[in-house]
Amino acid sequence: MNHKFIPFLSLLCILVLASACAEDRIAYKQGKSVMKLGDEPGWSAQDLDEHDWERRIELTDGRVYWSRTKVEILDTPESLRPFGVIPHVYGEYEVFWDGVLIGKNGNPGRELELGPEGKMWKAFGIPSHLAGKGEHVIAIRSSLYYFPDHVGVFGIELNYYDNLLTKGPIRTSFMHIFAGALLLASIYFLFLFLSNKKEYTTLIFSIICFLLFVHNLLEFFISYAPIHYKVHHTRLNALEMVMLSVSFLVPLYFSKQFPYPRQKVLLVVYTGVLLLLYSFKSDNTFIITRDMSFAMSVFSLGIVVFGVYKKMKGARLVLLTLPSAVLIGLATSFMVSLYAGISLILLGMFYVHSLRIKEQRLAYENSLVQSTRLKLELVKKNIQPHFLLNTLTSLVDWVEEAPKKGVMFIEALAKEFDLFNQIEDQTMIPITQEIELCKSHLEIMEYRKEISYFWEEEGIDLEQKVPPAIFHTLLENGITHSLPLDDNSIRFKLVHESNDEYRSYTFLTFALGVRQGKSREEGTGLKYIKARLTESYQSKWSLDSESTEHGWKNVIKIYH
Amino acid sequence: MNILIVEDESRVAKRIERMTRDIFGKDLQSLTHINTLEEALAFIESHSLDVVLLDLNLNGEDGFDLLKAAVSGSFHTIVVSAYKDQAITAFEYGVLDFVPKPFNQDRLTQAFDRIVSKERAEKEVKYLAVKTRHRIHLIPVEDVLYGKGAGAYTELFLADGTKELHDKSLEKLEQLLSNAFERVHKSYLVRMSAVKEIIVASGSKYMAALKNGVQIPIGRTRYKDIKAKWF
Repeated sequence: MNHKFIPFLSLLCILVLASACAEDRIAYKQGKSVMKLGDEPGWSAQDLDEHDWERRIELTDGRVYWSRTKVEILDTPESLRPFGVIPHVYGEYEVFWDGVLIGKNGNPGRELELGPEGKMWKAFGIPSHLAGKGEHVIAIRSSLYYFPDHVGVFGIELNYYDNLLTKGPIRTSFMHIFAGALLLASIYFLFLFLSNKKEYTTLIFSIICFLLFVHNLLEFFISYAPIHYKVHHTRLNALEMVMLSVSFLVPLYFSKQFPYPRQKVLLVVYTGVLLLLYSFKSDNTFIITRDMSFAMSVFSLGIVVFGVYKKMKGARLVLLTLPSAVLIGLATSFMVSLYAGISLILLGMFYVHSLRIKEQRLAYENSLVQSTRLKLELVKKNIQPHFLLNTLTSLVDWVEEAPKKGVMFIEALAKEFDLFNQIEDQTMIPITQEIELCKSHLEIMEYRKEISYFWEEEGIDLEQKVPPAIFHTLLENGITHSLPLDDNSIRFKLVHESNDEYRSYTFLTFALGVRQGKSREEGTGLKYIKARLTESYQSKWSLDSESTEHGWKNVIKIYH
Repeated sequence: MNILIVEDESRVAKRIERMTRDIFGKDLQSLTHINTLEEALAFIESHSLDVVLLDLNLNGEDGFDLLKAAVSGSFHTIVVSAYKDQAITAFEYGVLDFVPKPFNQDRLTQAFDRIVSKERAEKEVKYLAVKTRHRIHLIPVEDVLYGKGAGAYTELFLADGTKELHDKSLEKLEQLLSNAFERVHKSYLVRMSAVKEIIVASGSKYMAALKNGVQIPIGRTRYKDIKAKWF
């Protein structure tokens, strides 16, 4: 396993432990809440007659309304450790405990006048002498100018006051560890993408990490930067949008990593499902988040299972992380499980990425080896025994029989060696240099073979560059495999053509008895040319060879 | 002397030609130069030759097919090639000499001398190429027990009891085969490790009894030498 996992795993353990052995709670029972429009100071009293109070009321403006909720405390509180309460209600309000005002959040009834004040969630301490075992009443005097339709008491959270104050920040501090990790991962993978813009999976991964970072911030920043209830919905909408994007991107990422058939169709269907989930339950962020992450897990699981079935690299480990994410989701609270699950999926992605990076490194190393091999092959061209020793034998003969010609031969040979020296380190050379190389080779071969060789060219764009010695290799093949025409000559012609789609070089050999045997098809010469073309143009080239009436034709096309 | 030069480098071929003429002078009856594989094969089939000088890399084609055809012929083969690393294989196939390029007249003379002086080949032959009706196949030399001269040809008797006919004369094979073989008789060349004992028959006839029971006559004049050398 990869050592990169260790910090993440330990982080996960801390998190699970922290949430498992959570704060000590107190036992209490919460009764049904009743409400009434209007505003009377006496409505806070503990023993008020509630017969004309209703379970539900309609509110259309910023008027004040009251709510009363009975709470029965089942434990006797520890001495010197006060209780506290967080009412889960919208609006600006005052809280009364057994008729005593214990706190204020904003200015109920005067919101427009005084402007938004207070925060979404606020903890109130309960005086110790009022917090005994038994039944109590929480009365809340509130107004909801900005969301009058959100009237109601959604819950009364009762706990030790210090627990209520520290619970949020503690959870946030744990969760923000994830946020930091996600932000770093996002930046790292963005840099990776910027250095290689073809790797879209890296970009997707970076975006996923960044979105999860944003999601984490949006979810937890409220414990240190409280918000007014007015902007609560904006925050929830933002959370939903982020979750929607994440739910789309994670399976997209897996689709790129573990390709499967009919990808486009399935992704479109999946996007449809996500949008349906999003629009149907758009009033409850919790459910949307849960459903979308469920859909995301199911689809991702499907893709990964296919990957395992096809024995793709890394698929098995990712397959292990996905069900564990679901298990954690079953065992812990939703938000913890969401991040734990996502972290596990992230771990899976990290693993897949590390595998891909390894593959790329190997491919790169291979390409280096290949380049070196090609360079060697180029250097070898002039010292391979067939060329060198035959040339030397001919040279000896010229020197013995016609010394002056012998000198010219040596000069021609020197010229070719010189040209080879100039190009042996290059991966691309000007076409003019390549043509010069071919001509000097023909000069040498004339001395050796005593055949008249002719070189012609047409439409050459002098600005173009080509991999070294590819035409030289075709020329060598042409010389080796063909017999001269009746006038003891062999002609070679290089034609360059260019259009919107590609550039092409046509290399023609005009000769007799050009052989088409297997040695021509698979010769080391052609292998060299193909390897050079791949090195310089990846897959954007083609090489065709065919015999013609007058000899042989090679066409190299380089696509734009 | 009838000599064929198979070489696709015109200048090199001319050099071999010139030197060969120099070396043999009036003894040269015919000298032909061919630069393609097909023509060479056809020429070998239809002409009587004494020596073939062969380049193993003709027009980029593998010359070993031609080499097999050449060494199965009745003539001796001398390879003239730039690839020294092919020398061992060439000798194993049964060429008389391997002249590496670049060469001079002395080296070529030395090669030709082997033919004239009937000197043995330097390296061990591993295979004998035998022509059958449709193809040429290689017999490992270690399978050969003895050869019997049959006019211009040689009958090869193999360890598995079969018999093959080789186009080369017994004299030429004697030159190629290693010292493991001994010319015990005008018509016989025997692998000495296959000989179990020498039987002296009545009328001072000497026979070499092979391990498989076959008896091969030993020439009266050669008996002494063989006995001194092997027993």
